[in-house]
Amino acid sequence: MSSAELLPALLIAVPILMAAVPIALGLWFDRTGWSVTALTTVGLVAGTAYLANAVYAQDRVVHVLGGWDTPQGIGIELVADPFSTLIIALVTVTAAGLLAYTRVGGPRGNTFYAGYLLLVGGLIGLSLTGDVFNMFVFLEIVGLGTYAMISSGDGPESAVAALKYLILGTVGASLYLIGVGFLFMATGALNMEVLGEAIPQVAAEGGSDLTLLRAGFAFIFVGFAIKVAQWPLHTWQPDAYQHAPDGVTPLIAALVSTVSAYALGRVMFDVFGVEFIATTPYAQEIVVTVGAVSVIAGSTLAVIQRDVKRMFAYSSVSQFGLVVAAYGALTETALVGAIIHLIGHGVMKAGLFVAAGVIAVSYGVRTVDEYAGLADNRPFVAGSTALLLIALIGIPPSAGFIGKWYIAVGAVEAELWSIAAVVFLSTMLTLAYSARLLEKMYFTPAAPVESPHGTGVATDGGGGGSGILIDSGRFTRGSPEDVSLGMLALLVAIAISAVLLGFAGGALFEWLEPFTSEVFN
Amino acid sequence: MIESELLTMAYPPLVVFAAALLALVLPRILGFAVGALSLASVVAVALFAPDGALLSGTFLGFADVQPFYIDEFTRMMGVALGFLGTFAVIYAYSSEASKRMTAIALTYVASALGAAFAGDWLSLVFMWEIMALTSTLLVWNYGGDAVRAGYRYALAHGIGGSLVLFAVTAHYAQVGSFVFGEGVEYTDALLAGGMADGLPMLLAIVGIGVNVAFVGFHTWLPDTYPRPHFAASVFLAAFTTKTSAYILLRAVPEGNVYLAYMGGLMAVYGVVFALLQHDMRALLSYHIQAQLGYMVAGIGIGTTIGAAGAMGHLFNNVLYKSLLFMAVGVVIYRTNENDLYKLGGLWREMPLTAIAFFIGALSITAVPGFSGFISKGMVLDAADPSYYGAPEYEALYWLLFIGAVGTFLSFIKLGFYVFFHGESDRSVKDSKVGQTAAMLSVGGACVVLGLPAVGWPVFTDILPLVDGTQFLGPGGEEQPLTPYSMGHLQDAAILIAISAVGFKLIRKPLSKMDYSDPALIVNPAGYHLGRSSMLAVTELYAAVDRAAVSFVTSCYWIGDNPVLAVDAAARRLPNWIVDVEERRPADGGRPSTIHLRASIGLTVLVLTLVLTVILWLLI
Repeated sequence: MSSAELLPALLIAVPILMAAVPIALGLWFDRTGWSVTALTTVGLVAGTAYLANAVYAQDRVVHVLGGWDTPQGIGIELVADPFSTLIIALVTVTAAGLLAYTRVGGPRGNTFYAGYLLLVGGLIGLSLTGDVFNMFVFLEIVGLGTYAMISSGDGPESAVAALKYLILGTVGASLYLIGVGFLFMATGALNMEVLGEAIPQVAAEGGSDLTLLRAGFAFIFVGFAIKVAQWPLHTWQPDAYQHAPDGVTPLIAALVSTVSAYALGRVMFDVFGVEFIATTPYAQEIVVTVGAVSVIAGSTLAVIQRDVKRMFAYSSVSQFGLVVAAYGALTETALVGAIIHLIGHGVMKAGLFVAAGVIAVSYGVRTVDEYAGLADNRPFVAGSTALLLIALIGIPPSAGFIGKWYIAVGAVEAELWSIAAVVFLSTMLTLAYSARLLEKMYFTPAAPVESPHGTGVATDGGGGGSGILIDSGRFTRGSPEDVSLGMLALLVAIAISAVLLGFAGGALFEWLEPFTSEVFN
Repeated sequence: MIESELLTMAYPPLVVFAAALLALVLPRILGFAVGALSLASVVAVALFAPDGALLSGTFLGFADVQPFYIDEFTRMMGVALGFLGTFAVIYAYSSEASKRMTAIALTYVASALGAAFAGDWLSLVFMWEIMALTSTLLVWNYGGDAVRAGYRYALAHGIGGSLVLFAVTAHYAQVGSFVFGEGVEYTDALLAGGMADGLPMLLAIVGIGVNVAFVGFHTWLPDTYPRPHFAASVFLAAFTTKTSAYILLRAVPEGNVYLAYMGGLMAVYGVVFALLQHDMRALLSYHIQAQLGYMVAGIGIGTTIGAAGAMGHLFNNVLYKSLLFMAVGVVIYRTNENDLYKLGGLWREMPLTAIAFFIGALSITAVPGFSGFISKGMVLDAADPSYYGAPEYEALYWLLFIGAVGTFLSFIKLGFYVFFHGESDRSVKDSKVGQTAAMLSVGGACVVLGLPAVGWPVFTDILPLVDGTQFLGPGGEEQPLTPYSMGHLQDAAILIAISAVGFKLIRKPLSKMDYSDPALIVNPAGYHLGRSSMLAVTELYAAVDRAAVSFVTSCYWIGDNPVLAVDAAARRLPNWIVDVEERRPADGGRPSTIHLRASIGLTVLVLTLVLTVILWLLI
């Protein structure tokens, strides 16, 4: 077994094992969590880079676990291919980068970082797993990590939001598990590759096994619809994003739903296959409809929000709707577009939530109305936010543009005009809520003229980043001194990378070529 | 062939439109000269351009559009409209028409030419609407009384134009092509054309019927044409109705017996009301209707000689009806009087005008030796069962004959009261040089084209469907035209005799009959109908406006107060669907969280529903 083949297992095992370290060290030291996590995540980034290199050379790196080799059909293995490597790159880089925020912005504490590492391990596992049962296991690990993250906020609302996600997420994962059960009944296999070969045969035979397959598809799709937060099953997401601590929201917003959407794509294209979805009556229509409705409903709900984080949360509902609709197009170009949009959206949403956090800390505001005059007072933050919003709308060159572009091209190729219309609509609706914020930041003067920061009444700087400062009165606005250089650098770096990704369309397309050409033969 | 290439480039409406723009900016004499020259060039283009579609392209996303189409019909239309237009501009110049009026008139002529040269229904309907617009502008330009009349005119033509538009749309829906004659099967068609059968045909006839003043749809004509500047009347009299008559032939290439009888009715109705008019231009306007009756009858009969006669009459009408309007215009110009009973003995004061008038009058009344005699004779022959008419047209022939007598009577009346009837009580000058030149040129054409032996073959040669003086008779054999045969001359003599005696008899009662414009009966009805529909429309607009404004206002409000809006909406829903928390305005200065949240239970319920639906669909 070469070192590259060991890497998939290590990338999962190391963060999960390291999650115990901060707690153990916490017996002796107070603040080790950040350092341990930083060390681990940087290691993960390096490992991912090495793995990506190997994948680039041989297209697939497979790690077989526990002697469950493929002949049995169970075949527990970890697979790194271009698609999953791209996702774990997003996961590890984001996880490492966001530490720049949490170091000063919080939350703090060893238990938090334990959860952080657990979540990252789960996400990587979800990305790399090569069989559908372990996908459930990692879904649960991700879920647990996410509950821990959300509930680390200090208000009762965080607890409620976490509880909501706990229940709904578990229901979703259970539906997925039921679907996997049906698949196992129909084919006797759990390994994705084996399933991918067995399902067309079962489908060709027809009969009751085909019914099982279809039921399995329905359960799995609905289960993922909750995890990916498709309207009307999105209800956990706005609460979770809004009430999670500012340092956590970027992580879960950028990664949790993204990796779930990746898993959905993996199951749809590798397990069921294009053929099955295309030939099953209504299957394609259901996927496209769910996505399209989410785009419209999510954007509309985003427009009417006042809380900026909640607005971004609904925006995620809409953007993931676009990804799901693109999956439904069942063309190579649209699939590439969906994957690129997943990555791009992850980057942009991470940036936007970091921006929301930074603004909450430094300017003390959380609602759209209060963002008035931000550009004058916090030019860097406002500029980065504006850049990210423009990228989200999809104005070239930006990450948002290339994703939407490929999706639109794919939809037009397949002559699915509904999807093309959805891309257009999503752009217009994204423009609607982004414009609201841009207008407030740049063209509405701050309401009462006050001194930029109050004298001495501000927080003591140690109270954590979330929900602070409002009670300190109208004449103090935020505490810019609480914003570390790391936070700003992270924000600006994300904004710039969102733009730079706009030039990477061709490269990403080529990188994904081995995966997409295999899916579409 | 270079020349013909050049001619191809000279799309007449565009040339005339350019002249219209120039007329607006150039010094007056230069502008008018450009206008007249542009119209003269139209005659040349029409005469020498090769047959076929000279321009084709895509318009409004539809291919196969041929705005510049030449066949013997459009060629004749081009010659007639261009020739008359040239002299109308000269006339307008010396009649103190403003530059603006002339520019509008030229635009109007350009649109009429566009309609005449159109080779497909789409460009036709486009030009048709522009023609309605520009002619309305021409009326409005005069101000005063003309504005309201112009408004009624616009309404009538708006309705007619819409019907034509619907007809063309329905035609396209049915046959899939706009090009004249493409996709329709008319075995006896006299020319490329024809609306698709059924609804398109019906709509087209009614819509064009407004423009050619079918009885019942004609009120705009005597209402509008007497009102504007007298030079504008010359333009109006020549273009809209005649172009429309030609288009009617395009739409109904096989004829239609009802259409023919409508023509007969128009001829009689027109002359009866013409006889009752005091206003000179109103009298002439009713005559437009009567003369259109002859054309509609010829088109309706649908034989070669009928259609050729209709087109010939159309050609003549353009000339002599404008000539009459010019002559009457000069009288109005010099005397400022519209009422013919208040004039008299003017032939001593203005002999040139009198000559011009009588040339026109003799033409329109179809006295041998004048062009009207040839064309009206052809239409009568087409209807007369003893010549080429089918038996069912016997009654039509008599209607047209009565029309001819009525025409005589009314022109004797007009000529008698204006130019004879005692001494003139005023001393006025004769027409100005330009006016004279225009009148005598047009009048000269009327005379030359009707001359026995030498003149009339030239005229019939211009006509479509007639080869020299030969045409294809109803039996399929070549027939010669014999306008100056003994039979025809006899008919004419009888006609003149009846009319002369008739005028003696009815002159007294007629002059006592102070019968005002019958349009005055129609107009109040139209006025009230218009007013009530206007009020209804206005109210509807106001209601729509209020609704739209309140919608926009509430959208703004929702945009400004999304929290309140969602709250309000959520409160109307049953409580189990969404929890609406009470607003706590004093919650630490955070006014902005949305108090709207789907509960876990609801989400699970929705989840179950979604899963059920998807399972139901998939399995």
